[in-house]
Amino acid sequence: MSFWNRPKQEPETQSDTLPSRALLWLMVSFALLLTPQLDRLPVWLVAICVVLAGWRWLTQQGRVRLPGRWLRTGILLSLIAVYLLRVQGSFTVDTAASFFVLTVGLKWLETRTARDFYVLFYILVYLATVNFLFHQEIHWALVNIAAIGLLLIGLQVLNAPELPGGMKAGWRRLGVMLLKVLPIVVLLFVFFPRMEPLWSVPLVSGSARTGISDTMRPGDISSLAQSSDRAFRVTFGGPMPAYRDRYWRGLILDTLDDGTWRQGGYETYRRPGRVNVDGGVGELQPEEYDVLMEPTDQRWAFALESSVAVSDNVGKEADDLFRFRRPADSPVRYRLARDNSPEQTVPELEPGQARRYLQLPAYGNPRARALAADLRHSNSDVGVIRSLLNRFREQPYFYTLRPPKMPNDGIDSLLFDDMRGFCAHYAGATTFVLRSAGIPARVVVGYQGGESGAGDEYLVVRQYDAHAWVEAWVEGQGWVRIDPTAAIAPNRIESGLRDAVAEEGSFLENEWASAQRYGDVALIRWASQQLDRINYQWQRWVVGYQGQSQMDLMSRLPGGLGIKELGYITAGIVGVGLLIAGLISALQMRRGASRDRYGRVLGAWYQLCERAGVPVRSGETPSALASRLAAAEPAVADAARLFARMVNSHYYRPQSKSAAARDGSDDVQRMRRLLATMKRQLRKASKTQRSNSRSLAHSGKHSD
Amino acid sequence: MSRLIRSRWQRWINRRIPRSDVQLLTQRNLFILPTAPGVVFGVLLLIMLITGINYQNSLIYLVTFLLGAVFVGAMHQTHRNLAGLELTLVQAGEGFAGDDILFRLRAAAGKDDAIAVTLSDGDSSVRVGHVSSGQSADVALPVNSAFRGYLRPDSIRIETRFPFGLLKAWSWMRPVSAAVVFPRPIAAPDVASSVDDGEQTASSRSPEGNDHAELRPWRDGDMSQRVMWKRFARSGQMVVADWEADKGSPHWLDFNAFAGTDHEVRLSYLAWLVVERGKNGARFGLNLPGQVIEPDSGPAHAARCLRALAVWGEEKPREALGAPYGTRRKTDSGRRVKPGAVI
Repeated sequence: MSFWNRPKQEPETQSDTLPSRALLWLMVSFALLLTPQLDRLPVWLVAICVVLAGWRWLTQQGRVRLPGRWLRTGILLSLIAVYLLRVQGSFTVDTAASFFVLTVGLKWLETRTARDFYVLFYILVYLATVNFLFHQEIHWALVNIAAIGLLLIGLQVLNAPELPGGMKAGWRRLGVMLLKVLPIVVLLFVFFPRMEPLWSVPLVSGSARTGISDTMRPGDISSLAQSSDRAFRVTFGGPMPAYRDRYWRGLILDTLDDGTWRQGGYETYRRPGRVNVDGGVGELQPEEYDVLMEPTDQRWAFALESSVAVSDNVGKEADDLFRFRRPADSPVRYRLARDNSPEQTVPELEPGQARRYLQLPAYGNPRARALAADLRHSNSDVGVIRSLLNRFREQPYFYTLRPPKMPNDGIDSLLFDDMRGFCAHYAGATTFVLRSAGIPARVVVGYQGGESGAGDEYLVVRQYDAHAWVEAWVEGQGWVRIDPTAAIAPNRIESGLRDAVAEEGSFLENEWASAQRYGDVALIRWASQQLDRINYQWQRWVVGYQGQSQMDLMSRLPGGLGIKELGYITAGIVGVGLLIAGLISALQMRRGASRDRYGRVLGAWYQLCERAGVPVRSGETPSALASRLAAAEPAVADAARLFARMVNSHYYRPQSKSAAARDGSDDVQRMRRLLATMKRQLRKASKTQRSNSRSLAHSGKHSD
Repeated sequence: MSRLIRSRWQRWINRRIPRSDVQLLTQRNLFILPTAPGVVFGVLLLIMLITGINYQNSLIYLVTFLLGAVFVGAMHQTHRNLAGLELTLVQAGEGFAGDDILFRLRAAAGKDDAIAVTLSDGDSSVRVGHVSSGQSADVALPVNSAFRGYLRPDSIRIETRFPFGLLKAWSWMRPVSAAVVFPRPIAAPDVASSVDDGEQTASSRSPEGNDHAELRPWRDGDMSQRVMWKRFARSGQMVVADWEADKGSPHWLDFNAFAGTDHEVRLSYLAWLVVERGKNGARFGLNLPGQVIEPDSGPAHAARCLRALAVWGEEKPREALGAPYGTRRKTDSGRRVKPGAVI
């Protein structure tokens, strides 16, 4: 007899060790989530994360052990020390993000139980969220969502390690679930009220962004010309302007100081806060255009000449420049309109303004000054400008991305000795000469050109389209655009940088991976255009769907929905969604139950027995149950026996199929009627019981 | 206050889930709530939403809604895991007090797969694992017993957290059938201090009392407490001369042999004797107040005797009430005897 032996206690391995596959999916997800961050994470941090995750994996394989408490603390402290040394007190979103990644890496070393697994799950989900702050392109969005999907697969494996089918079944289950909830997600996305930020959190990035800056040293823009990053994309309501008219003004540099042009007279504006990133989605009027600008961390917006603001997230400031209220730290969409109406009055240049635009260093570049004096000598303002441009056109000036170094008196050496330069050189020199000649002038920095995207639907302006040109004040005409580059290298203005430097072969010479570099290969060009188009639509309609777009969309719906109504709608969607889900599952349940009508009648019969104080025993035959019920409730004895006979005959009587189908429904109906009769009888019996205490005692004896 | 709420809750549950050996899980008796990780997940979603609002980031909104909807979808899935499952108590096991008694249960899945299902009773739990739709799986759930008698768990909890562990769906089964828990065997003393009262023992006189020729003839007045039980157990033979023929027969295990001892302890002694004799295949009968089992041998007989010891003085549990650790409320002498403590 084995009574003495206690059943052996099985060691509970389930909760102690994590299933390997679950851990694997978590790690794959972590790797995926790191990819969007790779460009901003320091290399050592990535290496550390790989090592720590690898350690955990080897532990899972049983090759090594997890570090003990002391070693773990040591690793933790030393890594944090390294991190602090590297960061050196600068706190930006970048350093915060990398600290976050470091945390995840360290967490691998103490992932032992299911609880740790969940902690990692939360952190990784939030890491995906952080990724969305930095990258909103569709492919990164897909990577992030795929990583979250992997996390959910990992959770499934964690909760059901023995589940057959594994990965495929997991994905299928997840996919079906997502498909079911997708309508609700879309509705919520559209209707959830886009509130104002609850509090201001600037997204300060430590790394400088590629883009034009507010100072111009000769050579700045030529380094920009090596970048094929996107600056902004434009959709026009009407036809696109000709290539040579695509001058996108960004900012004005009016102060020359030690060979550097800079912005004067503007306060540096750094109020923390967020720019309104959404300019609305209303129908584009013919003269309007939408600009979707990549983040610059600056306030300036780019606009064609003589534009007016349409969306309210951008405002016109002095010198016909457009500014956001706050630096653009995420993609911003704004809308402008070209103002074609002729100006009624030519404004006067105020004396203060004139002084500002005539400012020059006290000395330097004597030959350029001499040239200016020479030109001034014989000409009017317009004449000076024209003869200067002619000089550029006729003499052998070259437009090059590889200008020579011009350390001293750079303008002199550009104009008279080297005669090789980039747009920034020529713009600076021209402004210098004009100012020397007493003509108010300024350098304008922005972009010129832009390729049309797939299907000519929109215009893509890239960093290599960065350009500098000159505006000069001509009495009676106001500010006039002068582009020395147009005189030297008409290609640059007519068809872009690629053609302008085609002979030199310096177009994007350091950007091996850029699709634009191989822009003359039709297939690559087509593919990159299509990709860009998808991303553009994505950015415009999904990423850019914010407050203004939502309000525009809602204003088109009947009823004039405000933000409060949107809140109600959202609550309604959630409620209705839950209700529908509940109803569907209830219906499924009901249908499942009603499939067997006999089963339902039997269920009712069992219920009746139980109510009469005769609980159904498992494995009891219908007639045995009936006789027990009969003993308990003599009033229904006959009916119960009859019912049991019918049940028996249903299960055991051999029948031909067609007859069964016909008789079956008949049987069920009869059984139902019988049940109803029994119920009535029972009710009557219990009533008499209640009225008569003696009969209660009597029947109580029976109901044992 | 909380006790009041709990008792009301318990009553509500009991009304909703009547005692039965077969329990079909439906919306009526299934409960679903977020687990602790699920609650934290909710907080995480809130943080994500705030991040999305503060950074005006549509994609964060999108992911938040997506995960929120997945949470709701998981609710559906978790519920469906158990809905339609039929849980049957196939057999309530037997065992000694203090041991884990095995309850054999069968889980038959409905039209949906039941995934990662766990059965538990108080402190022990057992994983059923995966039951495909239309299939069934058998599981033995150990239930801890403390006292002899009928053992019926007040409720057996069936739970699942699949797919994500963020939600748990559970229900209870309140079985009708009870397991039988034998008294915990305690080695009986060689000398029992029983004073025999002639009236009672006369009824249990064995006709085969004189059978053992090798025994020293006994004299009138010999006390049953002078039987060497231990040696008897080892050899199966009576080596003590002083037996009272009508009462101290080796064939009879007598409840009254241990006078002055607590009833529960007596039952434990008897259980030990039954086990020992069962091992040796000896013939023996059992004399309990109110119940006499004629001498016989073999494992079936031993089991029958143990069962009789287990339920002596106990009533089969009725539908309505059921104590968590068996049916017995208190020992005869009014104090609880912890079985096994004497060993």
